[in-house]
Amino acid sequence: MKPTDDKPYFLKGVPVPETPLPGEDPKPWKQTSVVGKPLPRTDGYERVSGSAVYPSDVLLPDMLYGAILRCPYPNARVKSIDISAAERLPGVRAVITGSTPGADLKWPYGDGVSAKLFDPHCRFEGEAVAAVAAETPYQASDALQAIEVKYDVLPFVVDERNAAESGAPAVHQKGNRVAAPTKYERGDVAKGFAEADVVLEEEYRTECELHTPLELHGCVAKWDHNQLTIWESTQGVYAVQSKVAEVLGLPLSKVRVIGHYMGGGFGSKLRPGKYTVIAALLAAKTARPVKLFLSREETFVTCGNRPPTNMKLKAGVKKDGTLTALELTVTGTGGAFPAGGVSLVDWQIRDLYTCPNVRTEATDFYTHTGPARPFRAPGHPQGSWALEQMLDALAEKINMDPVDLRLKNIPLFSQARDGKPKYSSTGLKECLETGAKAFGWEDARKNRSASQSRHLRRGVGMAACVWFVGGGGPPSTIVLKLFADGSANLNMGASDIGTGTKTIMAMVVSEELGIDPSKIFIENADTGTTQFATPSGGSKTIPTESPAVRAAAIEVKRQLLAMAAQDLKVDASRLAMKDGSIYISNDPSRTVKIPDVAGLKKRGVIVGVGYRGPNPANLVVNPFGAQFCEVQVDVRTGEIEILRFVAAHESGRVMNRLTFDNQVIGGLTMGIGLASTEFRVLDANETGKLCNKNWHDYKLPTALDITENITSVPVEILDNQANSTGAKGLGEPVTIPTAAAIANAVYNATGIRITHTPINPVQLSLLFSEKPVKE
Amino acid sequence: MDDTFEKKTCTCKTGLSRRSFFTSVGVGAVALATAKPVHSQEKAQVLEPDSTEKIRLIVNGREHRILVEPRWTLLFVLREKLGLTGTKMGCERGECGACTVLINDIPQYSCLKLAVESEGYAITTLEGLMNGENLGPVQQAFLEKDAYQCGYCTPGQIMAVEGLLRQNASPTMDQIKRGVSGNLCRCGAYKNIFDAADLAAKLKTGGG
Amino acid sequence: MLPNFAYVRPASVEGAVDHLHSENSRVHAGGTDLLGCLRDNIFMADKLVSLSALSDLRGIRRAADGGLRIGAMNTITEVATNESIQDQYRALAMGASEVASPQLRNQGTIGGNMCQKPRCWYYRGEFHCLRKGGTVCYAFGGENQFHCIFGSDDHCAIVHPSDTAPALLAFNAQVRIAGPKGDRLVPVEQFFVRPAENVEKETILQPDELVTEIMLPQPPQGTRSSYRKVRTRRSWDFALAGVALAVVFKGDTVESARVVLSGAAPVPWRSAEVEKAIIGKKLDSAVVSSAAEAAVKQAQPLSKNRYKIPLFKAVIQQELEKIAHA
Repeated sequence: MKPTDDKPYFLKGVPVPETPLPGEDPKPWKQTSVVGKPLPRTDGYERVSGSAVYPSDVLLPDMLYGAILRCPYPNARVKSIDISAAERLPGVRAVITGSTPGADLKWPYGDGVSAKLFDPHCRFEGEAVAAVAAETPYQASDALQAIEVKYDVLPFVVDERNAAESGAPAVHQKGNRVAAPTKYERGDVAKGFAEADVVLEEEYRTECELHTPLELHGCVAKWDHNQLTIWESTQGVYAVQSKVAEVLGLPLSKVRVIGHYMGGGFGSKLRPGKYTVIAALLAAKTARPVKLFLSREETFVTCGNRPPTNMKLKAGVKKDGTLTALELTVTGTGGAFPAGGVSLVDWQIRDLYTCPNVRTEATDFYTHTGPARPFRAPGHPQGSWALEQMLDALAEKINMDPVDLRLKNIPLFSQARDGKPKYSSTGLKECLETGAKAFGWEDARKNRSASQSRHLRRGVGMAACVWFVGGGGPPSTIVLKLFADGSANLNMGASDIGTGTKTIMAMVVSEELGIDPSKIFIENADTGTTQFATPSGGSKTIPTESPAVRAAAIEVKRQLLAMAAQDLKVDASRLAMKDGSIYISNDPSRTVKIPDVAGLKKRGVIVGVGYRGPNPANLVVNPFGAQFCEVQVDVRTGEIEILRFVAAHESGRVMNRLTFDNQVIGGLTMGIGLASTEFRVLDANETGKLCNKNWHDYKLPTALDITENITSVPVEILDNQANSTGAKGLGEPVTIPTAAAIANAVYNATGIRITHTPINPVQLSLLFSEKPVKE
Repeated sequence: MDDTFEKKTCTCKTGLSRRSFFTSVGVGAVALATAKPVHSQEKAQVLEPDSTEKIRLIVNGREHRILVEPRWTLLFVLREKLGLTGTKMGCERGECGACTVLINDIPQYSCLKLAVESEGYAITTLEGLMNGENLGPVQQAFLEKDAYQCGYCTPGQIMAVEGLLRQNASPTMDQIKRGVSGNLCRCGAYKNIFDAADLAAKLKTGGG
Repeated sequence: MLPNFAYVRPASVEGAVDHLHSENSRVHAGGTDLLGCLRDNIFMADKLVSLSALSDLRGIRRAADGGLRIGAMNTITEVATNESIQDQYRALAMGASEVASPQLRNQGTIGGNMCQKPRCWYYRGEFHCLRKGGTVCYAFGGENQFHCIFGSDDHCAIVHPSDTAPALLAFNAQVRIAGPKGDRLVPVEQFFVRPAENVEKETILQPDELVTEIMLPQPPQGTRSSYRKVRTRRSWDFALAGVALAVVFKGDTVESARVVLSGAAPVPWRSAEVEKAIIGKKLDSAVVSSAAEAAVKQAQPLSKNRYKIPLFKAVIQQELEKIAHA
């Protein structure tokens, strides 16, 4: 796979038009007065008062509640379904199956592989079998219990490590390999290993993680004759619109998708689910609105995951720290349908550090498990877990500081891409240096801080990262309306998935037009009223949308100045704006306030349209980062405590310091989950079912599992080539190196290398009993 | 102990005990005004499955007479029947805290509370922390400290902090962390939530 | 979603027992575990009998003999924060404060905590396991990393989920049970049921009985107690390995001791081996080590929980060292 030649994962399957070029190429901001400041969110009031209406909050008159019956087996054929008892239950208004007229639909799973909406062959636990709508969700649940399904239960394979074995049950007819292994090679790794002074090889594994955003997956669907409106918890209303229209055979104009607020996605809500279409079918059948949100347990089996990864990494280094060769083989699974099970796991190995000889090979297997969905920096934290621990081990072998080893191998161009293009900016070196300084790295390595007790050992560790996209790009179309009183309406298709997108866009408008952000209303994420936008994912929303917003603001300004020029009787080129007033550059005493501009008064509104221009040719726009942490390990019980973190991230311009830091602490927290608390447990031997499909057995980090001692150190390198606001993506890089940094710190504390996630007492107490740590 | 508890159970504005309804005789919509005394020796009424009975819920100081089934949770009634959607549904299993409300000032999961068990108690939801259109101090602190991302766990986090501060006006960092340890935040904004709780304590006591 | 059930809130214990006598009724105390079980279809209930109107079941009172009487309907928070309990029965307060999450401690009751259903994912999930009337315990051949190392009786490998019961057992508490024939008092030690006795029951309670009170005897002079729990995350998690200690010292010497393990067995697991290893001795490092060794000598780990052996050793060693210097 060549990600450079392909659409990034978050745009796969999404029809993407190109927007026109912006009118002019604005100069970079020299000094900003609003952008970059720690501004609380413009929609903060709605979020903390309860007045924000999330899709799951939508209540419509005469609304029914939908629910889906799901196959309880990992591999089974539906022999028969009897819905007669369910239909007779009180409150039940519709029961549908694959044989209901209109419900025999094709469901495209991806990469050309399809199933039916209600497929008689269920290839994973949780596949949809039937659905109901009833007056209350309780009655809908009663109805599910009353549907009688007879299954042919078939043999299964749920562990990808067994999927290639001869005799393993085949998920699809052609076997369990999704495709031929994906290979990448540059240089000559054999030569590279021969040149090395030290060669190490290690096997690593990361366990499967589940997204589990707080708001459940689902929607409310309502028909007005042949017009369908869907309120969906989604990262991209247009992505939902296009797939629903495709599956139901409707014109795009007849599908309106609204998602003003959404309660988290992390990649699992980039596309609609079967539930979206099922809700629409139930609403059509009953001629009433239907609310269909999944149960928490359903989201565990059907709404994607970060696949488990088995990695073997071999690395060679010279005594002076020069990396000579890296070789990675990886196997994984995206579940029962093509879903990028090993996608991008090798990217850190390919491109983070200078290395002339690199070879990677990735093999993706089908298993009878729920299909993966992109999960915050797909593949990257897994590859980082291997590479960054390997770097740590190499540094020790050649007696070099781990930070120095990384500094020795800083690339200035992307080695893994054709033509070896330069980065528009690379802050990797600065992140390492600034982070190390803020952390007190050298001191901390030399003098381990004292713990209270001799069985509590402290250690420090670090890791760095690159995120393979993060520059955004076209298309984006923004409509900005300036009203007669100088307030504005910003109209944008993109969702704010919690990163502060709306606030940052208001700040961009404010920066250009001098309007207070509180006077800017943002209308977004509604295919009926806002412009086309790609889903918010890939850390691309800010770098994609903010230049288009800036272009729209510049266009409004152009029109406004042309009007003011008539009032002030000068040429528009002589005018400037400040604090809501227009004045003559060389005669600031001659001024007109925005509401007093005659042309604006007369027309009532100025409409400016802004487009996202193309990314710079032959340049790669990637964010970088480095994280440092200190842990304390109980070397008897294996309990670990994260004591502090310093995160230095370079994502171009810091657009809002408050939301920037929030992304950093959020990414770290999720990384702590990968490192120490989260893992999917499948009953691989007996039933193939998911054991831990709830938040008690599947353990997200709680408030007590993280540290409040997190320092975000933004490394702001003004990247004037990336785009007109200089912003790069942030949401994903911040979670890439965290787990590896923790593993390195645990090694520093105990001398034990933890190659499998999660680092918890289950694993550590056994390791410590086999190899006691001296107290 | 007994005394304090009894006092707490009777803080509802009507002065009615929470038990008043079901210890009274009769079927259907027995008016609470005719409720029998607490120590009624008469036989308790059995609410039948799949049928509704009228109960009185006191939410944010307002009384609601509402028909409920025995199996309806307080969460369901608040959100889908009273339209108080500030309280969120995350798991319905008592595992995430998005549905946290105060019952007599104490944070509880409304997903694991039957509506019929909530009768007569003072129930406070996120909406009840507002002063008209103005944010309450805990809400204000969450806004200022950016103590959320997607905002879906936020109502529960705010209620947990509100409950904590009603018991303990100036909590330590450890007490704050423990106070919100029953509320998951998948976006991982915990650090800012701690800072917001700290600021809220100051705002509530007139400092900060 | 919850299935259908009838609901009643009797005004007296007798009324509650009456209602429980009818077919397939269940006690609703705090409701946190009950509603979860009903939602997961672990068992059905035709009628829920709420105890929330029973004020007699509230309150924590000093008993005539100097002990403490804890009404079964006290919340876990009330137990964790009660000064008398913190003073005299520290292990119980510590155990209570380690239960689940703050909200669940505010809702769940001490009686309910003792009567809660196991957290085994086969039992809670869509698996027709032995404890639910099926024919097989999936844990023996399956994902058993969080299962027992003692007392499965080769029937069922759950661990008992309570953090308060080990402490109550360590203090030799008694449980008052109300039933159709009146009250009976049962030592906590005899309250729980091992799989070999009845694999579908966790306690000796009959369907028409309910726990009304827990009676703690006055601890002997020189008693020190503690509870410690290791888990994979620091909130809302059950014990991987835990230990409740109630040790009576005379000077530096252990006069008597009751040691109960959590996360170890289908019932709170009294470790006679540890008790034997420390009674009559000073808790020096040799005694502590041998006690920790003794604790796991009889353990029978499953395929994925071998770690519990070093983990229990570590926890017992740490706690004995701590209590020796408390």
